[in-house]
Amino acid sequence: MLPADEYEACVARLTTPDGKQQTYGSGVKVQIPEEEWHDMLQASKGKSLKVEVWGQKNGEWLSYNPFDIMVAEEPIDEYLSYRLIEPTYVAWTYMEIAQRHLTTFEETQIFNNEITMNDKEKGQCINCHSYQNYKTDNMLFHVRLSNSGTIIVNDGKVSRVNLKRDYTISGGVYPAWHPTEKLIAFSTNLTRQAFHTSNHNKIEVYDLASDMILYDVKTDSVSIVSNDSTLLEVYPTWSPDGKYLYYCKSVPLPEGMDSKDIRTTYPKIQYNLYRRSFDVATHNFGDEELVYDAASSDKSVTLPRISPDGRYLLFALGQYGCFHSRHHDADIVCIPMEQYTGTPLTAETASFVDMRLVNSDGYSDSYPSWSSNGHWMMVASRRGDGNYSRVYFAYFKDGKVGKAFLLPQEDPEHNIFLLKSYNRPEFMIEPVKISVDEFSKVFDK
Amino acid sequence: MSSVRSLISSLFCVAVILFFGMAYPHHLHYQEQFQLFLFDSNYVWDVVKQTGGVADLLGRFCTQFFLFAWVGAVIIGLLLTAIQLLTSRFVGDGWLYGLSFVPSFLLWIFLLDEHALLGGVWAVMITLHAVWQIVRLPKGWQRYVAIVVLLPVLYWMVGPSWTGSHYYRYPNVAPMLLYAAWLSAIVIPLLAYVCRKWIKPSKGYVVSLCSFVLVAGVMGSIVWKNANFKAEKVMQYDFMASHQQWNRIIETANKEKPNNQIGVTVQNLALAMRGVLLDQMQNYNQNGIAGLLPDVQSDAVSPMPTAEAFYQLGMIYVAQRTVFEAQEAILDFQKSGRCYKRLAQTNLIIGSYEVARKYLMALQKTLFYREWANETLSLLGDEVAIAKHPEYGRLRKWAYKDNFFFSDHVTPEMLESLYSGCTDNSMAYQYLMAYYMLTGDRERYNNFISKNR
Repeated sequence: MLPADEYEACVARLTTPDGKQQTYGSGVKVQIPEEEWHDMLQASKGKSLKVEVWGQKNGEWLSYNPFDIMVAEEPIDEYLSYRLIEPTYVAWTYMEIAQRHLTTFEETQIFNNEITMNDKEKGQCINCHSYQNYKTDNMLFHVRLSNSGTIIVNDGKVSRVNLKRDYTISGGVYPAWHPTEKLIAFSTNLTRQAFHTSNHNKIEVYDLASDMILYDVKTDSVSIVSNDSTLLEVYPTWSPDGKYLYYCKSVPLPEGMDSKDIRTTYPKIQYNLYRRSFDVATHNFGDEELVYDAASSDKSVTLPRISPDGRYLLFALGQYGCFHSRHHDADIVCIPMEQYTGTPLTAETASFVDMRLVNSDGYSDSYPSWSSNGHWMMVASRRGDGNYSRVYFAYFKDGKVGKAFLLPQEDPEHNIFLLKSYNRPEFMIEPVKISVDEFSKVFDK
Repeated sequence: MSSVRSLISSLFCVAVILFFGMAYPHHLHYQEQFQLFLFDSNYVWDVVKQTGGVADLLGRFCTQFFLFAWVGAVIIGLLLTAIQLLTSRFVGDGWLYGLSFVPSFLLWIFLLDEHALLGGVWAVMITLHAVWQIVRLPKGWQRYVAIVVLLPVLYWMVGPSWTGSHYYRYPNVAPMLLYAAWLSAIVIPLLAYVCRKWIKPSKGYVVSLCSFVLVAGVMGSIVWKNANFKAEKVMQYDFMASHQQWNRIIETANKEKPNNQIGVTVQNLALAMRGVLLDQMQNYNQNGIAGLLPDVQSDAVSPMPTAEAFYQLGMIYVAQRTVFEAQEAILDFQKSGRCYKRLAQTNLIIGSYEVARKYLMALQKTLFYREWANETLSLLGDEVAIAKHPEYGRLRKWAYKDNFFFSDHVTPEMLESLYSGCTDNSMAYQYLMAYYMLTGDRERYNNFISKNR
């Protein structure tokens, strides 16, 4: 699509490797019928599609530089789920967790915050959808405030549980399903927000306290993984073989600052990446290992994810704090795991995968994840306008990353007019089969 | 006789128009600011695909005209009169004629509530019209076929009115008055049909006139008694603030000094905008700090005048957050033209042009904000034009230079920082001094004066 206030029309010609050409254009938009697009992709697999674009301005046709779209041989996962929410501060209205079929434009709802809200004054927040190994028979999401609880799907059976225990600081927050066992690692957080008076980041989200727990779905039991009251542990994620739990942990504040109000010390709070081995048989964790020392280069690591083959590590890196989706300097970093031999990696010692084609300049790039085959990366980025996050994909093979592209929409205007952010995008290899109504049955009406 | 009936209906219509145009105009403005009607196929489809969506859409379409209260009053007048005329077709003349006004009066009372939505009135009218069309058909299979076809269509157009989901702003509140109006529109024709044996239609107009006077007297007084003129006054202050009618605010406050929080906040804002807050604030009712910059509450209404004050002070990020949260607090999940406008302005001032563009492009799809959106779009990215703009240029200059965290409670330090960032900011100066005066903090008042002398 070309800007409607500058152009009268737009035409695009696509050429497949077999020489076939198709021309599209309606007004300033180019919309390709789904079936024809799939045929073109099929014909171009492993090769590239040539695209030529012309725009009509003041009656004159102008041509753009032609470009190629490389068509990967490895497919992307069939489904994607995300929360659609206004990039809000404290108040919110309607929100939904939705799933998108990635080979079509079909979007359906997994859950919304209206159907079981029994106390309008309190409101209801739904968040943190998570799946075991990209499948949806074992999944969860949280419901906060009105009619609260964590909705857990265990082999397709839905239940609502309360993860708060006397000995935890909160219920479960950021989740990570163990890849093979009915176990979920959560962080527990006492989260607060503060609002900038003159900063494009607008909101600062920080934890007064955060620990980690392990929830056993079978026995409904919660055990403490770490609860160092002086430091903040957050964002657990498992290695694909389930033998390690990775997480972020803050480093101690400089002397004299630890007693100050966190709203003044927040730019100094930085997180490093750690891991602990895990024994599936005993549910015991080994000693903590520092994997990536970000604080030594004045940075902060969040949201780690290990590739399905275990060879690469992704995380979001910003200057400080734990909420990089609101930090304009936040970028995605990818490190080959073979570099980690037990000695903590640092910016000086690690060699990073070149991510310039994935990251944006001056906008938040966060929430990285891998597709189930490890050939696609997904990030949530505010690069479009600085405020509304959108989903971007990038192809990955043999340590090389392709150019990130925006989640396609049937109507290119969709991304302009949608005043919602895509929050916590997660790949799935199958859709959530439980309907909104079925989920709602586990709530008090 | 028909001309007399037309005259009575016209009188009723004029009474409704005069009431909403003169006594209740700001309720109409209030309604308009809590929705955003877009001339956009996706928006229309999202509304009409719901049951009751047609009535809802018609209500929303009409409500956009409430920006101009007299146009809104005429729309309501015509709608209520149309409902009365439809009901009168079932009722006929004579003693029962006055009852044809009952559904319209009940809807009038319903609309006195600022949360009552016009879609409810449309639902009653569409239902009555459909029933009238069925009644007009000859008895027999045609009528039965029409009923079978019309019922599901009607359900899609106006149902489910019993849940009131499209007809009242609080989704979980049952609008009893709307139900009563809807019920009366069914019961009264039935009653007229049943009573036809005993009460013969009168050919003279006197009887009809008397029955009208009786109903109008009783129900008119109920309308007047239930009208919330206190809320109207509060809404008037909010409206004047949103349209930056500073002189009119002061004139209104001079006639009757406001004694509610919104009124006092707006009155102080107007005094400051005219540069006379410190000289004249003692002549008006004050409510401590709560009348200057009240703590922001989590509703859609009360934060708006405070947000206007934040904006005019140059606390742009704070104003943006306050407006954003107020819009999020709209209970039926609708958006607001007023909020979109202010969000576009604040984003323009802080240089977030692409975010401003989003709001402006949405406003381009409206009837009454389009022109403003087009004008403002041309400013995006034009630093020179923004700097020269009398409002945006000034506010950009006055805005905070130092970043710090804002809490929900405005402190004198926040105002002091604003003023020290730009000593041209006369608003910050007045608000800071007023803050000290209202809290009786003489020491800090004197310190600040001597420091900045």
